[in-house]
Amino acid sequence: MKKLFLLIILFVPLQLFAAEDIYRFTSVNDQQRFATLTTQLRCLVCQNQTLAESNAPLAADLRQQIYRHLQQGQSDKEIADYLVARYGNFILYRPLFNATTWALWLGPLLFLLTGVLYLLYYIRQKRRD
Amino acid sequence: MNRLKQVRSILPFIIFAMILFLLWRGLGLRPNQVPSPLINQSAPEFSLPDLLDAKKSVTHKEFAGHVTFVNVWATWCVSCAEEHRALLQLAQDAHIEFLGLNYKDDTIAAKKWLQQYGNPYKRVAVDSDGQAAIDWGVYGTPETFVIDKKGVIRYKQVGPIDNDAWEKTLKPLVEKLRNERA
Amino acid sequence: MVPELGSFAIILALCFSIIQGVSGFKPFRRLLRLSMTAAIIQFIFLTIAMLCLIASFVMQDITVIYVREHSHALLPVLYRIGAAWGGHEGSLLLWCLILAGWTVAFILFSDKKLSQSSRSNIMMILGFISCGFITFLFATSNPFQRDFPASLITGNDLTPILQDPGLIFHPPMLYLGYVGFAIGFAFAISALIEGKLNQEWAHACRPWIVLPWSFLSCGIVLGSWWAYRELGWGGWWFWDPVENASLLPWLSATALLHSLVVSEKRQSFKGWTVLLAIITFTLSLLGTFLVRSGVLVSVHAFANDPTRGLFLLCYLAVIIGGAFLLYGFRIKDFYQDPQFELLSRETFLLLNSVILLTAVFTIVIGTLYPIILDALSLGKISVGEPYFNLVFLPVILPLLLLMGFAPHVHWKKQAAGLLWKKMRFTLFFSLIIAVLVPFCLGFEFSGLTCLGIFLSVWIILATVQYAHTLKQIELKHWGMIVAHVGIAIVALGVTVNKSYSAERQIKMLPGESVSLAGYQFTFVNVDEMRGVNYEAVTASFDVQKNNSIPERLEAEQRIYTAHQETLGKPGILVNPFRDLYLALGNGFPDGGWSVRIYYKPMVRWIWAGGFLLLIGGFLSLLSQIKKRDENE
Repeated sequence: MKKLFLLIILFVPLQLFAAEDIYRFTSVNDQQRFATLTTQLRCLVCQNQTLAESNAPLAADLRQQIYRHLQQGQSDKEIADYLVARYGNFILYRPLFNATTWALWLGPLLFLLTGVLYLLYYIRQKRRD
Repeated sequence: MNRLKQVRSILPFIIFAMILFLLWRGLGLRPNQVPSPLINQSAPEFSLPDLLDAKKSVTHKEFAGHVTFVNVWATWCVSCAEEHRALLQLAQDAHIEFLGLNYKDDTIAAKKWLQQYGNPYKRVAVDSDGQAAIDWGVYGTPETFVIDKKGVIRYKQVGPIDNDAWEKTLKPLVEKLRNERA
Repeated sequence: MVPELGSFAIILALCFSIIQGVSGFKPFRRLLRLSMTAAIIQFIFLTIAMLCLIASFVMQDITVIYVREHSHALLPVLYRIGAAWGGHEGSLLLWCLILAGWTVAFILFSDKKLSQSSRSNIMMILGFISCGFITFLFATSNPFQRDFPASLITGNDLTPILQDPGLIFHPPMLYLGYVGFAIGFAFAISALIEGKLNQEWAHACRPWIVLPWSFLSCGIVLGSWWAYRELGWGGWWFWDPVENASLLPWLSATALLHSLVVSEKRQSFKGWTVLLAIITFTLSLLGTFLVRSGVLVSVHAFANDPTRGLFLLCYLAVIIGGAFLLYGFRIKDFYQDPQFELLSRETFLLLNSVILLTAVFTIVIGTLYPIILDALSLGKISVGEPYFNLVFLPVILPLLLLMGFAPHVHWKKQAAGLLWKKMRFTLFFSLIIAVLVPFCLGFEFSGLTCLGIFLSVWIILATVQYAHTLKQIELKHWGMIVAHVGIAIVALGVTVNKSYSAERQIKMLPGESVSLAGYQFTFVNVDEMRGVNYEAVTASFDVQKNNSIPERLEAEQRIYTAHQETLGKPGILVNPFRDLYLALGNGFPDGGWSVRIYYKPMVRWIWAGGFLLLIGGFLSLLSQIKKRDENE
């Protein structure tokens, strides 16, 4: 009986007990910000998961950093910048909008507009003939 | 209008060919390796306890004047054990100066490990909670950073240093950096 | 013995696929019969191969490397069967088997009116597709490879996440879907070879698009439901590359479905239908490639191997490159000037195609962009859920709006004024409901929520209005009605779920209570239990609302014996309007447990709506069969 408890407790890396996994926030807004931040950042170890979901020790460490910075009153952007300075843009699940990513963000809209406009133009033109 | 029709006809093929080419190029890439944004920036400042002498500290000032390899390792890391022999060899034959960063490890186990398997490191800094490593953008072990004489990070090796990595990349880099002025 | 039989069966299947392909080359009766016979024999051999593989799993033959990697002595029999297609090699065998199965279905059930030359073209193309895939299977991914270990080894066990009934149904259903589109592809190539596309062709082709589309809809729903139950975070869609790979052919096939209806009824959109059929199968193959090549990182991806990726890429280049090249040369024979006005049902259906292809483009560019930047040495970025949610939605919303109008728009020409007069009341009524319902129920008010509810209600009301205008609702109408309503329900479920979900993550000790969304969750106790191949800690909760009778909710943390892997199994309380979802996290030394509780309103409606698509597809198929019987 006890063995199974111990197994589950010990199986989890020690680091998760050094710091409590459950964070306490002073306001609902902070809690919301923490949730949003951690779900929009990528875990670098388990790369299919967000920082919120991942059980990797690094993810736990980074969550703790985010929590600490939130408590210090830093803004979302400052926290994101802090992580990007160390891990690069890879850690952001939401890509930035800049010279290399404009095609990504505007592409779908341009595709849709081109398609619709070409379609309408084509039909109109052909019916005129 | 005929030309427009011709373009429309061959457009799908052209788009497909481009995607195919992209995927072919994609096969040669490694999607899960994260490049370091710290390349060509000064190494992060730190002051950590020395593994072998708890009264002393290891700081970033160690880097001044010579080329350093900062190697992130731990006793619980299997690949680090595999890399260890290569590190010893490089320290001895190529006179590489290693600074070890003992990452989230047990200091007693780490000391024992070095005693048992040899110590390639000039100095070893202890990062017990992993916070210093975050400043370096560490996401796995082993990782090795090449620091030049001015304390600037010039290269990051993700994963163990093998013969291939040494001959092709690290050796020429070290020679180049050693020829630079401090 | 059994694995050797399996390997041999694969080789024989390969031989017969070559015979099938080559015999289809010339449309002579004898050769066609040879081709069809070869296809049937190929199917039999592939079935034998699959049975051998399943047998190897059930018997725990660990000399077969694939069995060793994906099974274990303690693995329950049901999962041993599922494990047969749980890994790359086995799933590839399943792919080949299902392709052969679809070919046999085509031989047995296709429209008798289909011309012999079309038929032999289709057999030839399917033969070559089969041949390529079986070669790929045998050359790089033979599931029957053996080695004989010196000492007794037990298997590596099937990944715990895969030990779920979902494994039995989800992959086969998905494959029935996107492998089935090979037939539509063959139809399209056949049309290009013959240089024409007539009504017989369109009529014969439709069931072979509708049926895979229905299966794929079901497969995607099953995948979403499985992820929800398994992954422990209450999510049902993650924009993971492998999920995207299954959605892409679905979107394209939906466009194809609609285009095909026009081709059959109005003899129009011919070139477009052919192109969509090729694109749909291309997306199926692209998905197959992405999942197995190592080009993308994904939790679902099979073991990544660039050599396999290269083989698949060459295969893609030949089959699809050839298809698009043929299209480029032959399509001018299909171009017709539009026989319809700017405001007409034809235009609406073309807009449907444009929007769906934009959706395809969006997902493709989002999935491939990191590779593009990496290949150009422009750095490494990640494109994840935030991107897709932001960009995909504005693309799909106009489609939902058009869906309500489309059935009411006349073919060829529709007067704008008449359309407005017909639909304005329904439009306003939907808008009013969308604004009032959240208000009356006392929920939070949000623009996006209203928009979602408006569009869902609009589609349902407009579709019902359409049914009302019909003199007699026949079977063929039911298919469309049910499917459109299905989409509306999916939209409604998504809107409500995204707008009104709530969650809490908290550490609890037995005896403590926490509330969420009006429900009280009381942690009763923790217990241990033993499963067939795992040990588990079960946390029991009592859930009640306003002093109602408490319902028991149990969540588990399992440790699978084979390799000591932990997996959480969330507990879910289901009711038609909401799920209460509880995931057990880690234990603390003081006896407390980390607990995640979710309130998920109308999440089941998302899957119910998807399931309606399956029913709508079947109804449509039924009406096509009925029509065929009437014609004979």
